[in-house]
Amino acid sequence: MVLFGFLMLMSFVTVHKYYLSVTNMVYSEKNNTFQITSRIFIDDLEQVLEERYGIDAKLATSNEAKISDVYVKKYFQTKFAIEVNGELAKYAFLGKEYEDDVVICYLELPHINLPDLQSIAVQNEILTDLFDEQQNVVHIKWNGKQRSFVLIKENNKGMLNF
Amino acid sequence: MNKFKYLFVSMLFLVGAMAVAQEEEEAKDEKKPGHYNENKFKQLYEEFSTPNTYRSASGAPGPDYYQQRADYKMNIELDDKNAKMYGEETVTYYNNSPDDLEFLWVQLDQNVRAKDSKSPLRNGNGVNFAYTAGNFANTYLSEPFDGGFNIEFVKDANGKPLSYTINQTMMRLNIPKPLKSGEQISFSIKWWYNINDHVNGRGRSGYEFFPEDGNRAYVIAQFFPRMAVYSDVEGWQNHQFWGSGEFALPFGNYDVSITVPADHILDATGELQNRDDVFSKEMMKRFKQAKKSFDKPVVIVTQEEAELAEKGFSDKKKTWKFKATNVRDYGFATSRKFIWDMQAVKMGSKDVMAVSLYPKEGNPLWEEQSTKAVAQTLETYSKFTFDYPYHKAISVHAKNQGMEYPMICWNYGRPNEDGTYSDRTKYGMISVIIHEVGHNYFPMIVNSDERQWGWMDEGLDTFMQYLTEQEFGEKYPDVIAPNSNYPSRRGEAAKIVPYMGGDQSHISPIMSNPENVYQLGPNAYGKPATALNILRETVMGKELFDHAFKTYAQRWKFKHPTPEDFFRTMEDASAVDLDWYWRGWFYTTDYVDIGVKGIKKYYVSSKPTKEMEKYMADRNLTEADLPPLVYLAEEDSEDFAPELEGKVPSETSQNLKEFMMDNMTETERTQVKEPKYFYEITFDKPGGIPMPLIVEYTYADGTKENITYPAEIWRKNDEEVKRVLSSQKELVGIVVDPKQETADIDTTNNSWPKKEEKSGFDKFKENIKG
Repeated sequence: MVLFGFLMLMSFVTVHKYYLSVTNMVYSEKNNTFQITSRIFIDDLEQVLEERYGIDAKLATSNEAKISDVYVKKYFQTKFAIEVNGELAKYAFLGKEYEDDVVICYLELPHINLPDLQSIAVQNEILTDLFDEQQNVVHIKWNGKQRSFVLIKENNKGMLNF
Repeated sequence: MNKFKYLFVSMLFLVGAMAVAQEEEEAKDEKKPGHYNENKFKQLYEEFSTPNTYRSASGAPGPDYYQQRADYKMNIELDDKNAKMYGEETVTYYNNSPDDLEFLWVQLDQNVRAKDSKSPLRNGNGVNFAYTAGNFANTYLSEPFDGGFNIEFVKDANGKPLSYTINQTMMRLNIPKPLKSGEQISFSIKWWYNINDHVNGRGRSGYEFFPEDGNRAYVIAQFFPRMAVYSDVEGWQNHQFWGSGEFALPFGNYDVSITVPADHILDATGELQNRDDVFSKEMMKRFKQAKKSFDKPVVIVTQEEAELAEKGFSDKKKTWKFKATNVRDYGFATSRKFIWDMQAVKMGSKDVMAVSLYPKEGNPLWEEQSTKAVAQTLETYSKFTFDYPYHKAISVHAKNQGMEYPMICWNYGRPNEDGTYSDRTKYGMISVIIHEVGHNYFPMIVNSDERQWGWMDEGLDTFMQYLTEQEFGEKYPDVIAPNSNYPSRRGEAAKIVPYMGGDQSHISPIMSNPENVYQLGPNAYGKPATALNILRETVMGKELFDHAFKTYAQRWKFKHPTPEDFFRTMEDASAVDLDWYWRGWFYTTDYVDIGVKGIKKYYVSSKPTKEMEKYMADRNLTEADLPPLVYLAEEDSEDFAPELEGKVPSETSQNLKEFMMDNMTETERTQVKEPKYFYEITFDKPGGIPMPLIVEYTYADGTKENITYPAEIWRKNDEEVKRVLSSQKELVGIVVDPKQETADIDTTNNSWPKKEEKSGFDKFKENIKG
């Protein structure tokens, strides 16, 4: 039989689509920023844009709607939030690109001075409005250290104290 | 000169620098305990079973190799209105083993869907602190599907009831006396079961319901009680069917009659015996055309005809009769909705039919690409293995699954309702068709045990899928435009890096049972396929690999190979020792990471180095006591003097000059190309898998030299190795694995001088700035 994608796994008797996104937040010492990449299945993102905003985005095709970036950004701002030292922090949505069946979204959290950092909290509700089973994995990496969270609809926030 | 001293000096140069280094280390440390042979190049005697007369050390079947056989005669009836399947079968089982069998095991795969199935209970789960209402209702308020076999009777050849015991998905037949070696036995089973919705309930077999027209399209398999495999390796392979580990089945002949509504279109494993009864005259005419059409499919049932049939709901029945020889399983697909096309493919001296069955929901994609992909699969796979031995290969469109059976498979790839489709849908569809049709070779013919070793069919098949996709792209450039190569999702080395470089607590070795791995996709499909691709392109070379791979396929077609039979054959037919490769890639979760650690530059000198002076002082020697020596002075050490630069060795070493005058003719001396530059380069290997050390050296004049040191370079030191490079040109750059063909998980250490490697993030950010 065939399995769909790297992020799918078998369940019960056969292939079962696995609802998953993987977000990497890597601290860049050079820029004093967290460089964030979020990997989401294209099909899933397309479906949420359609159901939530009524956008037929045609992602990853030559007919991709020009407006789709605006809505992806808007969606992130609604569903993906970062708190630094207990306060909501502003991040920039830089854009997106495609790799196989995955869309990679690039975000950047600026002005982070590691010695001043006491805590960082990530609330990731991406696609939990569409799929109950959605899991959002977040890896935070800094100074060669790593901490990971698996966030779900009912438990959508991970907090890391430095 | 003192003879003793001379001997001593000779020994020094014989034993070499390594022994000296070792001596120093041991002096510093406590004495280390001994150890077993932990060498990565140790032969796999402990992992492999001992060869015997059933399975030879060469990897070929041995002189006493045997396999059982099971023949089936079946009458099947589909009740379309109630989605039920009824059947009666007579099994004739041949005991070709040297053992007497006290009982027989029959597989009841449908029981995985029984209400009392243990399969849903096999995974742990915790209580969530909150549930959505829908999720809660699904989990705790809904009735489970009433699936599983209802066994009406099991009878012996004389019609007397035969005692049986059912343990989940396995049924033991308690035969009255043992079935002796060489004997055969016949028995009959009558059964029925409720057919599941394979789209919403997820399944390899079942129906898809189309609410717009009220029809179902059935893709039916694992639908009858099937004999388990008895072999020299497992005895009875009666490991339960839990859902992930697929199937192990003996070969045999099938005689099957399938009764369905008269307006259904049906195709199945085996040769159709009563075409005149079930085909219309028009279909017959088109079928004859299709048998002669080698360049494009001929439509046997058109979309218009299928759309008309959708509205019929005939109460009449029709029986389709098939015979199949030497197959390991049986499957069929049936619906009023099916469009049907076929074309012929030349296969040696005979023709094979490439066939597609699809509802109108699959068009226009299916009429464009399906049969084309089937034909390409037969061509490419046959080239690398053996000519496809059956008379047809069918690709059936199912909404969201891909699954294989002998001669027939189901594949996803559905366009949008308006008929448009994305490239993802198109490539997904072509790829899954190649994959599932390819399964005819592995495991339908090269019949490995899927229940135990998922990778043996999925990995080999995914590897062959990659080769076929690439050939498909070459043959149909217009289909893959604007890509210049088919965008294969698996196969290339770099694509497995995220998995192999990932969290070790969620990776299993390839040599694991499919039920017990964390991520079956990369574990049984992506990683073994990539390992074989790297083996072919980088380690063995295409010619040696292809011959060995073909040898394996031909040795084991219509037989039951084990992993060792594959591993042994690949060595046997190529003379490439691969134990290290199987160990690293298949038996461990190690990864590849090789880098360049450091480089030192040396000049030839007449003056003894500081190290040499110390050596002489320690042993009370002077230069006069020693034979004529040539010294290499490191650029950053005290031994270095600026006047050594830019000269050839015979200018800076008096000893060398004299040696050359004594031992070489004048012509020889003028012809010799003396290197000006000497480097000692240290390569390190943070990764566990030893791999060939592929190095690209770049010189000051811009020329490049590629040297591949065999993987065996790591056999005496698994952590780092040094190489001396002498050259007439100055070295300005070193890159390890320049074409990224080894799945090196960290390339930041692959270059000297160290390149500031930009992260994907930085590259993206630069690009958007323009």
